[in-house]
Amino acid sequence: MELNAKNVRVSYGKTEILKGIDLTIKSGEKVFIGGANGSGKTTLLRVLSGIIPHEGEVLLDGKDVFKMKRKDTAKYISLMPQTSDMYFPYTVFETVLLGTYASAGNTVFRNNASDVQYALKCMEDCGVLELKDRHLDELSGGQLQRVLLARTFAQGSPFLFLDEPGNNLDIKYRAELCDKLNSWAAGKTGDTDNTLVAVFHDLEQARRCCTRAVLMKDGKVIFDGGIDEGLKPEMLMEVYDFDMASYVKG
Amino acid sequence: MTKKGTGLKIVISAVLCLFILVFAIRSGSVYISLKDLLGIIGGHITGKGTPEGIDPMMDSIFWVIRMPRALMAFMVGGALSISGACMQALLQNPLASSYTLGVSSGASLGATLVLILEISVPVLAGFMLPAAGFVFGLATVVFALMLASAIDKSVSNTTVVLLGMVLSLFVNGIVNLLSTLSSDHSKQIVLWMMGSFSARGWDHCAILFPICILGLVSLMLMSRKMDIMSFGDLQAQAMGVDAKKTKILAILICALLTGVSVSFTGVIGFIDLAAPHVVRKIFGPSHKLVIPMSFIYGGAFMALCDLISRTLLSPREIPVGAVTALIGAPFFAYVFFTSRRKR
Repeated sequence: MELNAKNVRVSYGKTEILKGIDLTIKSGEKVFIGGANGSGKTTLLRVLSGIIPHEGEVLLDGKDVFKMKRKDTAKYISLMPQTSDMYFPYTVFETVLLGTYASAGNTVFRNNASDVQYALKCMEDCGVLELKDRHLDELSGGQLQRVLLARTFAQGSPFLFLDEPGNNLDIKYRAELCDKLNSWAAGKTGDTDNTLVAVFHDLEQARRCCTRAVLMKDGKVIFDGGIDEGLKPEMLMEVYDFDMASYVKG
Repeated sequence: MTKKGTGLKIVISAVLCLFILVFAIRSGSVYISLKDLLGIIGGHITGKGTPEGIDPMMDSIFWVIRMPRALMAFMVGGALSISGACMQALLQNPLASSYTLGVSSGASLGATLVLILEISVPVLAGFMLPAAGFVFGLATVVFALMLASAIDKSVSNTTVVLLGMVLSLFVNGIVNLLSTLSSDHSKQIVLWMMGSFSARGWDHCAILFPICILGLVSLMLMSRKMDIMSFGDLQAQAMGVDAKKTKILAILICALLTGVSVSFTGVIGFIDLAAPHVVRKIFGPSHKLVIPMSFIYGGAFMALCDLISRTLLSPREIPVGAVTALIGAPFFAYVFFTSRRKR
């Protein structure tokens, strides 16, 4: 499968956030989306997921993701947003099980046994199985982040878009997250190779999880290439307007 | 919460609510034994008429007046409560209710116009007031949704709530103006707006019943979508729910439920706000339980409030809206602030 963005533009009011993005992501790729705050990374992920209106086209194997039925798009693309509203304190299990909505055979009153099993597996993979019966308002920020990650995996889509998945995670869980993402990306969903597209602020995490870097500045892609080249000090200087090398060395 | 625990709570709730409904029918200035009540119901259902040994006057009081009134109160309470539960989840706002989009103010405007202009359509007979209330209530919601869509293509919650409030206040202003200008009718208007179940008969029940069933079933079928929508529109879109379409459809269902209820009984507040929150405290937030349980809890509470409204200062009747607020507010505060989740 292939996801193509062609001359994508997004504006919020009079402010143009994305200024003509062209991007192709093939299944099986592991793509890091990088850039300073406000460069358009989050908006790009939302556009690629087909959930916000835009100019230009985003095509999944030739079909416009914004015009597809939401449930159909969600079968192929899952997005873990940077933040998630939590108005009611569902249990961890209820929350993760909701992730199966797009592909589930659940009826209103009965949960499909295979969906339940899959949700439990996703919880186990993300290390939250022991929190199964806890309510969302009883979790720490890191625990909640892992629950939302489990819910995103439970969607069972071959394209996984993550917006800063390492937020609130301690260093151990960040390392585990990388292992988890790498092992997931090495597999397939149905016949399609799994594809990871993630925004990270932790560049070490980006290096460990991804092989391709797409770097953004002021709503434009200014670099698209290998991760090692993308994370060179001179490139980071251009992207972040900041001397990363001297910061790391102290 | 275990399935066994949930099942037990559902059974206890259903029995308790049925008990309250039967109690509301039996109680009042004239009291009837359960045996006689069942005899009256059986006689009418089987078409045999008033059973032997029961005064025909008693039969009339219970079959013609009390039962339709109590059932009407139950259905209106249920309809308002499930609308409230739905609106709170969709708009992610604990203060959202079935009235948020201006149904009640629209219905009040319709009823005010009918009263002031003394409009009557022979075909509608005694249903003129409810019909006008319903049409104006629904029209207000449709107008609010169209305006929200035009201003904000994604129909965000903030836009919906703010527009609903603005429109409600504006329409209420017109109602107040009309009411002041036509002082002859102002008492009638105020009485209608305070809400009452008096003189509601089987013909009213026959209209409300199918609408309640339709609303209850359709909202229950949307319960998983409502669970997902409560995590926000963006998350819902990402998980496969068309947030805008779901919101508009659910709001229209709620407007239908509220519009018909308000048009028959006037504006009765508080239950739509409180019942869903109480139910969530008992059963958790999953809407596959919140919707049906809100219906029976809201229904039972309304039947109880109506009983109080007609018996407390008998023969005078207190507006039922005042009773729902006076009893409901402290009870709601107690449940909401003192009970930690006991699921």
